[in-house]
Amino acid sequence: MSSESSKKRKPKVIRSDGAPAEGKRNRSDTEQEGKYYSEEAEVDLRDPGRDYELYKYTCQELQRLMAEIQDLKSRGGKDVAVEIEDRRIQSCVHFMTLKKLNRLAHIRLKKGRDQTHEAKQKVDAYHLQLQNLLYEVMHLQKEITKCLEFKSKHEEIDLVSLEEFYKEAPPDISKAEVTMGDPHQQTLARLDWELEQRKRLAEKYRECLSNKEKILKEIEVKKEYLSSLQPRLNSIMQASLPVQEYLFMPFDQAHKQYETARHLPPPLYVLFVQATAYGQACDKTLSVAIEGSVDEAKALFKPPEDSQDDESDSDAEEEQTTKRRRPTLGVQLDDKRKEMLKRHPLSVMLDLKCKDDSVLHLTFYYLMNLNIMTVKAKVTTATELITPISAGDLLSPDSVLSCLYPGDHGKKTPNPANQYQFDKVGILTLRDYVLDLGHPYLWVQKLGGLHFPKEQPQHTVIADHSLSASHMETTMKLLKTRVQSRLALHKQFASLEHGIVPVTNDCQCLFPAKVVSRLVKWVTIAHEDYMELHFTKDIVEAGLAEDTNLYYMALVERGTAKLQAAVVLNPGYSSIPPIFQLCLNWKGEKTNSNDDNIRAMESEVNVCYKELCGPRPSHQLLTNQLQRLCVLLDVYLETDSHDDSVEGPKEFPQEKMCLRLFRGPSRMKPFKYNHPQGFFSHR
Amino acid sequence: MERAVPHAVPLGQMEVFQALQRLHMTIFSQSVSPCGKFLAAGNNYGQIAIFSLSAALSSEAKEESKKPVVTFQAHDGPVYSMVSTDRHLLSAGDGEVKAWLWAEILKKGCKELWRRQPPYRTSLEVPEINALLLVPKENSLILAGGDCQLHTMDLETGAFTVSKPWSWGGQGWMGVGAFFLDLLLTAALLLQRALRGHTDYIHCLALRERSPEVLSGGEDGAVRLWDLRTAKEVQTIEVYKHEECSRPHNGRWIGCLATDSDWMVCGGGPALTLWHLRSSTPTTIFPMRAPQKHVTFYQDLILSAGQGRCVNQWQLSGELKAQVPGSSPGLLSLSLNQQPAAPECKVLTAAGNSCRVDVFTNLGYRAFSLSF
Repeated sequence: MSSESSKKRKPKVIRSDGAPAEGKRNRSDTEQEGKYYSEEAEVDLRDPGRDYELYKYTCQELQRLMAEIQDLKSRGGKDVAVEIEDRRIQSCVHFMTLKKLNRLAHIRLKKGRDQTHEAKQKVDAYHLQLQNLLYEVMHLQKEITKCLEFKSKHEEIDLVSLEEFYKEAPPDISKAEVTMGDPHQQTLARLDWELEQRKRLAEKYRECLSNKEKILKEIEVKKEYLSSLQPRLNSIMQASLPVQEYLFMPFDQAHKQYETARHLPPPLYVLFVQATAYGQACDKTLSVAIEGSVDEAKALFKPPEDSQDDESDSDAEEEQTTKRRRPTLGVQLDDKRKEMLKRHPLSVMLDLKCKDDSVLHLTFYYLMNLNIMTVKAKVTTATELITPISAGDLLSPDSVLSCLYPGDHGKKTPNPANQYQFDKVGILTLRDYVLDLGHPYLWVQKLGGLHFPKEQPQHTVIADHSLSASHMETTMKLLKTRVQSRLALHKQFASLEHGIVPVTNDCQCLFPAKVVSRLVKWVTIAHEDYMELHFTKDIVEAGLAEDTNLYYMALVERGTAKLQAAVVLNPGYSSIPPIFQLCLNWKGEKTNSNDDNIRAMESEVNVCYKELCGPRPSHQLLTNQLQRLCVLLDVYLETDSHDDSVEGPKEFPQEKMCLRLFRGPSRMKPFKYNHPQGFFSHR
Repeated sequence: MERAVPHAVPLGQMEVFQALQRLHMTIFSQSVSPCGKFLAAGNNYGQIAIFSLSAALSSEAKEESKKPVVTFQAHDGPVYSMVSTDRHLLSAGDGEVKAWLWAEILKKGCKELWRRQPPYRTSLEVPEINALLLVPKENSLILAGGDCQLHTMDLETGAFTVSKPWSWGGQGWMGVGAFFLDLLLTAALLLQRALRGHTDYIHCLALRERSPEVLSGGEDGAVRLWDLRTAKEVQTIEVYKHEECSRPHNGRWIGCLATDSDWMVCGGGPALTLWHLRSSTPTTIFPMRAPQKHVTFYQDLILSAGQGRCVNQWQLSGELKAQVPGSSPGLLSLSLNQQPAAPECKVLTAAGNSCRVDVFTNLGYRAFSLSF
């Protein structure tokens, strides 16, 4: 080891020593080149192995010489110097050899480097080439798949089937012998055939077009002829009018109505058609007319799609505005409400004539945006009526048709979908608008063929003729009886207010000849007042005191006895009887809760009303009930058991003939009147 | 005054009529079935409704179980009185007494078993029957009402008998033949066959259990005591003549009476009064202004009801122990269900001027109402 390390150290020392010497020698090298000596060429000729041997040998020699010199120096002596000199020369030669070897090694290293570099460049070039080739391969593969995926346009064309093609195509196109085996040729042939056929059809189309053109021209000519005919026909019609009038055949008028009817919205149209049909077939007293501006209706229907779009747009807008701007909301909402409650410009008028020449005018409207129908009613009579105070509500348009069918008040919208529309524009109920718009009674919807199911709020509603037809007859009859009963009541109220209970001749048998109790007061009272009365509790609790009913207070008097009767008049009078609740002021206050006989009197007029109806259609019911009440009061007072402890005669001597005064556990009085014999008995 | 307004339901003609009928209904009579589980109630329209007490009192009672199990038209006129034997329901009102089998009623086959009419004098009006009374010892039924007489009917034969000596009544040989014989002799025997004495119609009857004696109270203001064996009137108390209980402004009539042999309580026009029968003196006058229509002894209490909403409970001393309000403005009948067969249905029921029968599960509390 030590020898090796020393070996390595030595060349280093030598190199550092020799560096300036080398610089000098480089100069000498360039001089030597001129003398064609090349050390580099020499390198090729020498064997590196032998150089290595030489290097080893030289090093050993140097070591030996150094050791000898040291040896000599340590011995000392005169002759030693020569020997040392000799040895020095020898070692200088060896140094020269070492230098030479060093140079050679350098040159060799450089050469090796150059060779390596060269080889590396070659490898790089090859690598690049490989990359290019790979890329090319990939590109080619892509091209190939592209080609494979190519789809011809002809595949999209719907060709005739193969059998059909061979059957129909001429042989010069189909060329069965060639194409049978070769699908490519076959397809080509089929395409040819397709082209051929299309060409033919195009030809035909052109022909048809020209044909159409021709026909249009003909039509034009004929139209011109017809329009030239119209004025002439008109003049003929005009001329025939006097004849029509003379013969009572209003063809023209009817025709005009049908013309206008075409512009009616579907529900009104259904109503118009059904009412006209019913009027012609069953009821001559019914007349139908259309009112309103046809032009407006036409304008409404011209761009039906556009208007729908507008509507939906405005809806969307409206939603946005409600979100964005609050302050101006009031005015906007007002407009929206008006828009929503808009009526169709056309309306249908029905005039229903009753027997006594009074007429019920019904005007039917259609609310376009709510898809419901409303009606306004008016009653006119042949003779001017003196309106009694208490009859104020009887013929008012607001209530005359209320509850035509049970529970049909006409205050709520029958279309469940409307509620959602109302919510949008802040309408609570339709009730507040009913006076303006008319009442949306259920029967009106049915006459218009509109049917609103209760369960499904967003059901599409289509005007239906059969629905209207099935309700027409009953409704018309109900309307007539309603008007007649109202008019009858109207008349009766006039005399009731003067304290006279009108009893017609055919009802005379229901009452005894002498009735002492008198009706002294007949006034209308408010629903709230009725509810507040202390003796009407039962009726209120039984749910019979709805706010749609009419309420009256009657006062019947005899002597010191005063009988108050609170009357509930159902709008459905006279099929639904008036209900009486009594309170007698005589020897203390007596009502049904503390006197069984007052209860019995109520039951006599309320439950046993059927015998008081009189001849159909029983318009006399209310007056008969009142008269009955007077009789009952007579019986009640006259049969009252005499109090032995009180001095003096009875206030009401018994004038009525009674079999018995009391009967049964609840000591009923004989309230039942037996007609021909004229006595009173118990029921 | 605020009143709850019921939700407005659309009312048609029929509904209004039915509502009015219910509103003016009066329930005159009640009777508990022999099994104790059912209650029959008769109203002024001649209908009898059967309620199931056991169903209405059970823990899972619904609204429907407070409605009648079955309702049938029994009479043309009001059903003023009903009693139950161990098999039959007897109902009376407009002059006729009809019998129905409880077993058949509950099977909803409501056909009358038989009907009988006491022999009346001819009259324009058929007299009503206001009271029925069973005499179990003799197996007979006593009817009283509009013709001011007490008629006795043998339940076995269905014949109206003369209440003669004891040996006659219970004997079985008097069959249908004898009944027809009776009819032939009607005119001659009329005076004998009924207990006559009242001058106006009879409201109520009560039986003295120990001796075969019957009490009757009538419109004429008298309470009469009849011996059934001799068919004679043994005692008369003219209540209105006693100053302490007479109330002339209400009238003389006796509307209700009850007895427990020594004592008798009666009321009506005169005040409700407790009488000692042997000495015929009024002992207690109960301070109740309204006329009473029904009174009964219950243990050591007296229960009474009449004009006004309440069932009154009195001590014998005259103290008002309790007033329990019911749902009707006036009460006409009380019924204590004491059938041993159904101890769970032991209730007091009260009915009157409404379509409801109030049920009191104990004496101090109205639990619910059965309704026609």
